Amino acid sequence: MAELRLTMTAEARKVLTDLLRLIAPAAARVSVNRAKIPDADPEVANFWTETLSAQASEEARLLATAFASAKGDPATIILRNEAQSLAFLRALSAVRFALRDLVFADIPDSQLDGAEELEDESLPSEKRHALACYSCFGLLQQSLIHQLDSEA
Amino acid sequence: MGKPKLKPEIKTESVVQPSPKWNVIVLNDPINYTDYVVLAFMKVLRVSRPVAKKLMLEVHEDGRATVWTGDREPAEMVALELQQWHLNAILEKDG
Repeated sequence: MAELRLTMTAEARKVLTDLLRLIAPAAARVSVNRAKIPDADPEVANFWTETLSAQASEEARLLATAFASAKGDPATIILRNEAQSLAFLRALSAVRFALRDLVFADIPDSQLDGAEELEDESLPSEKRHALACYSCFGLLQQSLIHQLDSEA
Repeated sequence: MGKPKLKPEIKTESVVQPSPKWNVIVLNDPINYTDYVVLAFMKVLRVSRPVAKKLMLEVHEDGRATVWTGDREPAEMVALELQQWHLNAILEKDG
């Protein structure tokens, strides 16, 4: 598979990179905490926790490296192969979950579906900022899905 | 002449209980896109696009779908792999 590219403006890259730096440690915790780990067998539970924790750390590292290496304007993230692209896709899902849980847990799911319509002034600016980033991560995810799977 | 000793008739029967099956259930979530869920099902469950799409629609419309059934250990691995895609996968004993 040829390499995949995700392009964004330099400003978007900066904003998303700054947000990732802030949210990454908590995102890893959210990822493990929200997992439905079977608790009947301590050995299995331990294996799941270790596996998901390791993955969460790897996802945070992957996102940080990818955004930091995306130079230029427009900034381009280059994903070398399918495995790296799928890992990046999963990492974007993790960060969207983290934003959902940590920043706007009070916004109902139905409203979140149309996050781009939530640009109302009644929301605090940091929440609007996080919502914009949430939408951007979603757009990157959709772009990647369509490159990975032309029938999607 | 004494009575013939009757041998008690003993029947033995071995009953092999099949091990219980486990269902891997995926619950709906408000974060992941439908195309993402279809891709996750295709990669993890190794099913065709139409099957993956059907399962995704079931999750989306009914709130949950059984995506895999089998022995406990492989079911645990499937559920874990789906969770690595950040899907809400849980295990339930069948029946």
